Order: sequence, then C-alpha cells, then structure tokens
Amino acid sequence: MATTDRVPVTVLTGFLGSGKTTLLNRILSENHGKRIAVIENEFGEVGVDHQLVIGAEEEIFETNNGCICCTVRGDLLRILGQLLKRRDKFDYIIVETTGMADPGPVAQTFFLDDDFKKQFLLDAIVTVVDSRHIEKHLQEMKEPGEQVAFADVILLNKTDLVSEAELERIERRIRSMNGTARIFRTRNADVQIDRVLDVGAFDLQRALAVDASFLEPEYPFEWAGAYLLPAGRFTLRSGHEPHAHQHDHHDHEHAHDDHHHHHAGGLGLAIIPLAAATDDGLAGAIEPAVRAFAEDPQSVECGGHLVPHAGLYHIDAGHEGSHFDLEIARAGAYALFFEHAPAEFDLRIEGAKPVASRTFASHHHDNEISSIGISDPRPLDPQKLNDWLSYLLKSRGADIFRMKGVLSLKGEERRYVFHGVHMMFDGQLERPWPAGATRQNTLVFIGRKLDREELEAGFHGCIASP
Amino acid sequence: MKQPGAILEPRGRVILEDYIVDIAWAPDSSRLAVAGGEGKVFLATREKDRLDSKIVGDHGLGALAIAWQPGGERFASSGQDSRLLLFDGTGNRVAERRPSMTATACVAWSGDGQRLSSAAGKQISLWTSELEPVHVFEPQAATITALAWDKSGRDLAASMNGGLVVHRIDPPRFAVRYYKWSAPCLTAAFSPNGKFLATGTQDGSVHFWYLATGRDSQMRGYPGKVDSTVWSGDSRYLATAADDQVVVWDFGGKGPEGSRPLQLRGHTDRIECMAFQPKGNFLVTGGRDWRISLWFPGKSTLALDAQLTDSEPSCLRWSPDGRFIALGEQRGSLSIFELVRIV
Repeated sequence: MATTDRVPVTVLTGFLGSGKTTLLNRILSENHGKRIAVIENEFGEVGVDHQLVIGAEEEIFETNNGCICCTVRGDLLRILGQLLKRRDKFDYIIVETTGMADPGPVAQTFFLDDDFKKQFLLDAIVTVVDSRHIEKHLQEMKEPGEQVAFADVILLNKTDLVSEAELERIERRIRSMNGTARIFRTRNADVQIDRVLDVGAFDLQRALAVDASFLEPEYPFEWAGAYLLPAGRFTLRSGHEPHAHQHDHHDHEHAHDDHHHHHAGGLGLAIIPLAAATDDGLAGAIEPAVRAFAEDPQSVECGGHLVPHAGLYHIDAGHEGSHFDLEIARAGAYALFFEHAPAEFDLRIEGAKPVASRTFASHHHDNEISSIGISDPRPLDPQKLNDWLSYLLKSRGADIFRMKGVLSLKGEERRYVFHGVHMMFDGQLERPWPAGATRQNTLVFIGRKLDREELEAGFHGCIASP
Repeated sequence: MKQPGAILEPRGRVILEDYIVDIAWAPDSSRLAVAGGEGKVFLATREKDRLDSKIVGDHGLGALAIAWQPGGERFASSGQDSRLLLFDGTGNRVAERRPSMTATACVAWSGDGQRLSSAAGKQISLWTSELEPVHVFEPQAATITALAWDKSGRDLAASMNGGLVVHRIDPPRFAVRYYKWSAPCLTAAFSPNGKFLATGTQDGSVHFWYLATGRDSQMRGYPGKVDSTVWSGDSRYLATAADDQVVVWDFGGKGPEGSRPLQLRGHTDRIECMAFQPKGNFLVTGGRDWRISLWFPGKSTLALDAQLTDSEPSCLRWSPDGRFIALGEQRGSLSIFELVRIV
C-alpha cells in the first residue's frame, strides 16, 4: 500500500486543564476541509455536529512478556481497526489522550503492529502545556514531563496568565527537556491548524528540524550580551522596580516570587573584556566565560561593587529592585555572561544597551528528562552504527523516549534518516546530500537520565576510520 | 500434466454500499445476515443465481458483529452504538437491548441455539434466544476481544489481554475457569470435538489448551498478530493467519506438537479473512492482495487462486451445507459462489 494511502493520526496530549479540549474543538470547528475522526479518552465538551467521535477506555497491552517498551494501547488497536471499516467517512484521525496518559504506548501502537504501520501514519504528538501550572506539575508528577518529552509540537498555552519573563523561563525549561519539538505560544489554544495537523514529524522524507542552539554544548550560562561602554561607573539593575513597571504583572507576582527562592545563593555573572562588541567578539569570549564560571564565585550583595575580571560573581539579583555598582576603568567592549536569560530577572545596565547578544542552551536538569544532541561531521561506519544503536535500544530503550537523526555514512551518497520511540526504530536512506554541502551527523535523544558522556562515547565509536 | 483445480460458479451478487464486516448464513443456506462497517444491517436472500437484499436495521457508528441462531429463525447484530438487535428470519426486528454504555463488540449463539451471549467492553451478558436477560457476568480483567461457545452449548469462552476465561453455563451456576496467557489474546476457538481451545495473540503466536488436562502449548514465529484462528469441521486442522501467511496445524495423530505445520504460500499481502468448509475441509482465504484462494484439504496446494472482487475482500463464509461461499468486500459487494467442480 502506498504511503499516501495511510491515514494520518495526530496524538493530542496534555495535562488536565491545559487547553487540550479547547484545541480539539478549535480543530473540529475550523474550516480545513478535513473529515476528522476523533478517539477520545475523556468525554469532554466536544460536541461538534457531524463529527465522528468515539469514546475509548485506556487499556494498556504488554506484549513480549511485559517489556515496558513494547506496551501498546489495546483500546486504540481495537478502535482504529474498527475505524478502518469506515475509511470513506474520514481522512484524518485525532487521538485525544487522558491528562494522565503516558504517550509512549500510544505512539508505540503505531509501530508495533505491522498492519497498522501500513494503514496509519503517525503524524505528530502534540502536547498542550498549561503555562501557568506546568512548573508545578513537572515538579510533582512524571506524566507532564513525559508528555513534553514525547512531543513533536508543544503549545505553550494560557500565555496570558504568565509574565513574559516566566514564559521565557518555561520555554527554556521545556526546550531543555525536548530539544526538537516545535514550540508555539498560544492563548486559548489559538494556533494555525497546519502547525498541529499534517506536521509530518514521523515522516522520514521530511527534513528533521533541529534547533541549532540546542545542539551546542551545554554552557553554565544562558545569555551573553556585548556592550560598548565608556569609562565610568554604571548601575547594573535587576528585578522589576514597582514604579518603573512596564507590564501589568501584578496578578502574578506571587508565583514569580515563589520561583526565585532557589536562587538564594545568587545568580552567576561574569564580566569579561571583549576584542569587539560583535557576535564574533562574543564567541571569542565563550571560553574565558566558561573558565570564569568554573571559579569559586564571589558573592555580591545588593549595592555591591563589580568590575570586569576573570572570575565569577554571584549577585543577589533575585528580588525587586536589586542594583549593583559596575566600574569600568577603561572604555571598550565588555560582555556580561549571565546564568539566566536577562528578561527573567530584568537584568540591565542603566543607560547602556547590548549591541550584540546571544542565548545558550538551558541547563536545567531538575526533572531528569532532557534532550541530548550530538553533531559531528565525520562519516560513520554503518556496521558499528548498527551495533551501537541496537545495543543502545536494548540497554537504554526504556529511558530513551524519542530519538531522531540524520546521519552521514561512509561511502554513501544519501542521508540516513531515522527516528525511534523507546525500542521501536525506523530508519532508511533518503535524499542525497546536496552537492558540495558539508555533511553533518545530527542526532537527538530525548529521555530520562540520559548520560551525555555515554552517548557521545558510543557515537564516537561509530566514526569510520579514515 | 494438468494441475488439479476447482471452479467457483457465481451465484449472485448485490451491492450493499457498506464495508462488509461480518456475514452469517441462515441454517437453510438460502439467506444471509450482513453487518456493515458504517452501521447497516442487511438481510440478503439467494434465489438460484440471484441475490436480493434489504436493510433491516442500523447501528449508529458501525455494526461490529452478526450471528444467526443455529437451527433457528433468529439472528442478532451488535454495534458501536452499544445496542444488541434481534431479528426474525425475514428481517423484522423482534427485540433490542443495550447491555452497557460501551460498544457491543461480540455476539455468539450457543450451538443448540438456545442461548445468545454478547460482550461489551469487559462485560459478558447471557440472553435467551428471545433476548431476555439470563445473566450478567462479573466484569473481566480486560476488554473482551472474542466470544466462542463449545459445541455442547455449555461452555462460553472469551478472549482478552492476559488469556481466556471459560464460563460453564449451568444455571443457576456459572462456574468459571481461567486459561491464562500473558499476551493480548485476540481470538477464541473451541475445536468442534471439544478437546481444544485455541487463541491467536497480538504478539504473533498461537496458544492452545487441552481442555481435559489444562495442559497448554504455544506456537510461535508468526510475522505479526494472529487475528484469525479457524477449525475444520472434523477438528483435524486449525488454520491460523498472520500478515500474508496462512499456517495450518494438524491436530490428527500425535497432534501439532513436534510436527511441521502446513504453510500455505500464495498471498502477497495481509490475509483479511478465511473459512473452513463445514464438511470437506476446503479452506478459503482472502487477502488484501485481492486474491481469493481455495486450498485442498490438508495440503499446501491451491485448488483455485482468482481475483473475484472489485475491492479488498473483507469476509468469507461457507454456507452450512458446504456448497456456497459468501464473499464480502470492503466496498460493499456481496457475492455468492458455488463450488461446482474439482477438476
């Protein structure tokens, strides 16, 4: 059966109250020309006329003697099988899971059964996140993290209920858990339909979109800004000053304050002279900044004194109206390397704006779910790669939720593209590398308790001898 | 040398305009009840080379099963709308029940036609032949995937994730036995001689039990889920199908253990349906490759291999007298063929 005959399926996940049902209703009522069949695990408010809505009771099947990676959703197997007998009535399926559902078995249902592989095409896992409560949920339960980790598309919903700074923090945290999902900020789950349907996330023929910044090594800082400063004294401010408040965040200050408790030890800041206040200048300062962040920090209270130097400050910037005295002895280009994004703490030098800036991959690991990206231009030995991936899936399959990659194999003109869900793996040779282009292996793992060193060592073992 | 073969003569065809999910022959081999994937229930009547049909009922969102009362003038259908409908032999609806709020996926008559059973979700219900409630069993551990009666009409088996359960129907007592197997079991099939109970599983195996001793045995190595298990009328053969492979186990002599099964090769795509001739043991199979194949009893040789449909075949049923084959298609054609000649 041709690929085009397969019915695309979008899996919609999201914790209770995230706006999942709002999104579903929006999709169903929009004029997109698709006839959509919905399999619902929660009987919500869906009531659009002429839509095929079937209720299902979540039922987990363990095949292969209970191996966690081979669990599938029995209810979906049954209902999808029945739906095939009414194929003429619809051309798209949406599976709405319960708020507490583990997306693993849902996704695996489409890989484990050969018949289903021929009939259905898992299009994407779309996860709706309640921006206001996600941080709390991530802390308290495992399901919300899994739903984020499995997603191909994430809607950061209810953005109107959090401040811009909170939103940035949340987005970075989510990005650190899932390095490849497309993230959209939404209110009332209002999103263009083509961002959630017909995404083709599992389609090997479509190029993998991997966030470039995510593939960078992890740095101990999240932001750097380059300034051109004359000699003199400056005030470095952080935190919102009540009288200078630009945005209407009063409703949310309580939640905002709560979050900052764990920064009692101060926030890491390095102030480093630059060769030039440009992107290149900043890039050249990364290495000194990494060294500075490895130093024992010097704690600076509010009102304290800062100078450019090779060490690390821990500034007490976690409350409203913090300010520090920055002394610049010689005019020139300087960089601030900050542990967090400045918007989160409203960090700024009074009277000066950064002329160049750069953000770095976040480094939160408090929820144990993370993404690890590997990027390397050297061609791989297909046999070694196969052995390594087999070993990896067998030994770590339970902890690896998703993996994707575009690989350059030695002696092969085409790109090898693969993706996997737990131990399910699908890979093939695709389009040739463009003539003259630099070939690059790009791999991304999303999972729990991933060990970057282990993954990198395994990957390096696959590099073909020249 | 001329290859041996069979000829199937067309004996009527009618377009039902619904995906044919299930077909049930009347005992006199002249009428057929048909369940449609979009919900319609049909009654088709065969007269010489003609087939007429009428719509007799409708299950919203899809019919799932249909069964004709052995030796009787009733047939029952069930569907996604959770209802259970009972019709007389001319298609008049005589009773209707809603055993639960979920889809009623299975219906099965006892061999003597005295009892009807239905399964909806985890719940099995027992009815009289006029759809009066007899008993509702305690909910099972998982959703029921298939129901089957043994020939005596005393034992009712249900398959589910984790094995099979068999209820001994001896009102007011309903003793229960469990046949556990840690896999999603998709089918339930008693051998007609009452000696074996077989099931096909999602993880590509067939499991069966010797009912006298409870001893069990597993047959592995299928390329995918085994969602079809049918016994020959004399209990000698168990035909099983997974993906494009048909495997027939010989239960004669020393039994299937240690013996090599027949592998029927020919289909190039998934097997959608198959059925054993009640007497004579011809096996007919239909595949997603649009082929209908007829296999000589106990052999892996083809008596016939033909394209008889305008779409993928979805259901095959031999008439009780073993003369006719009813063939249902995904696009709604219902055809009758008569096995007239073995060359």
